[in-house]
Amino acid sequence: MELLRQTAWLLWKDLLLELRRRESLLAMFFFGVLLLFVFNFAFEIPREKAAEMAAGLLWLAFIFTGTLGLAQLYQAERENHCLEALLLSPVDRGALYLAKVSFNLLLMLPVEMVVFPLFWMLFNLEAWNLLLPLFLVAFLGTIGFCAVGTLFSAVTLRARARELLLPLVIFPLMIPLILATIRAMEIVLRTGGFEEASSWLRLLIGFDVIFLTAGFLIFEWVIEA
Amino acid sequence: MRVVVDRLSKAYGYVWALKDITLELRPGECVALLGPNGAGKTTLLKLLSALLAPTQGEITLDGERLQTNSPRLRSLVGFLSPQDHVYDGLTASENLRLFTSLYGKGKNRAETEKHLEIVGLKNWADQYVGSLSTDMKCRLIIAKWLLLEPRLMLLDEPYGVLDGSGVGLLESYLRNLTSGGGVALIATHHVQRALRLCSRAIILDHGRLIFDEPKQEPWESFQRAFENFAPREERWNY
Repeated sequence: MELLRQTAWLLWKDLLLELRRRESLLAMFFFGVLLLFVFNFAFEIPREKAAEMAAGLLWLAFIFTGTLGLAQLYQAERENHCLEALLLSPVDRGALYLAKVSFNLLLMLPVEMVVFPLFWMLFNLEAWNLLLPLFLVAFLGTIGFCAVGTLFSAVTLRARARELLLPLVIFPLMIPLILATIRAMEIVLRTGGFEEASSWLRLLIGFDVIFLTAGFLIFEWVIEA
Repeated sequence: MRVVVDRLSKAYGYVWALKDITLELRPGECVALLGPNGAGKTTLLKLLSALLAPTQGEITLDGERLQTNSPRLRSLVGFLSPQDHVYDGLTASENLRLFTSLYGKGKNRAETEKHLEIVGLKNWADQYVGSLSTDMKCRLIIAKWLLLEPRLMLLDEPYGVLDGSGVGLLESYLRNLTSGGGVALIATHHVQRALRLCSRAIILDHGRLIFDEPKQEPWESFQRAFENFAPREERWNY
């Protein structure tokens, strides 16, 4: 209970700061939308092909916008040495991790909720009924992205060129996640159901569970290093 | 609270910031930590607050070894660094509510406002901290530690930004802390000010403890040790 209470207070702090500054959310939102327009202008994709490419293009947009958010994830803690203030406190380091993962998730989900229908409109896709199942698959992928991203964003926190270093560190680690999400989304788009995608979904859930657990357990050593 | 530092050393890479420090801080003591820039004062404070882990040696608080993963001991240690450790994007009141909650001492708005009034910030309770002056920020940090009630208070250059009444406020807080058995360790370059309040002085130089004595009149040994590192204008006679 104490862990959840601390997580809730830290999340409240991050959300309040973001609502006041609107730096990360606005940047991610506009970057996500901009990427869709770039894809739309760059690739002249016929409608029947668009469905095949949707998963890959959407995930490319989410990963890039998500990386933008990760670079700003600890900005509030860098000011006034506030990270030190948190490390001085008896707060569970796992709560710090869970709060940052939840905050990152809450930044990415609204962006995805806008980017999905916009993609459908820009590429003239018709299967609007598949938006919700696809969003659920993307949600699983986003949890994994946030779990890995939050952990390695903390690893690179004290590095000089952290914005450059972070994608180089996290992208190779995320290959199974990216592959599983794109494959699962492709199958859902093709078949309209989850049955054939079950092995990829299991991989996604496994990835999420492993990295969330590992991040929660080792965050203490990462953040205090 | 009794603080025992036993053969404490800290290295950054190949450079020893602190070497073989042994000292004891007894309940009720207010100690001035002096030394030139780079002597290791802030490193010692960070080790005592468990923000850093020692390379060698150990620290015990009331007989319990201080480690980075000891939340109970962490809640007993305060670290006052002017202008630091508060969120600019939150209001004064929100900062106090956040930190008291993280320390498991959740206070309601009335209690936080009462403490803001004590430090002279009642009318600034709903102002963003980023818009406060450095003196006000320091007062807010004093209010934070008043609410969190640590038993060992570490202060890193607390005098630089405070005006006269702010210094009075800080000294009154430290007197209350030490009269209740708490310990204060003040790292500062404002030697005369610190020695007015403290009952003992410690001098670090190049990471080594070169002086540790209780205050006395006259204090020639301190004068000699101090003259080795103090700029001419800071020297004084007893």
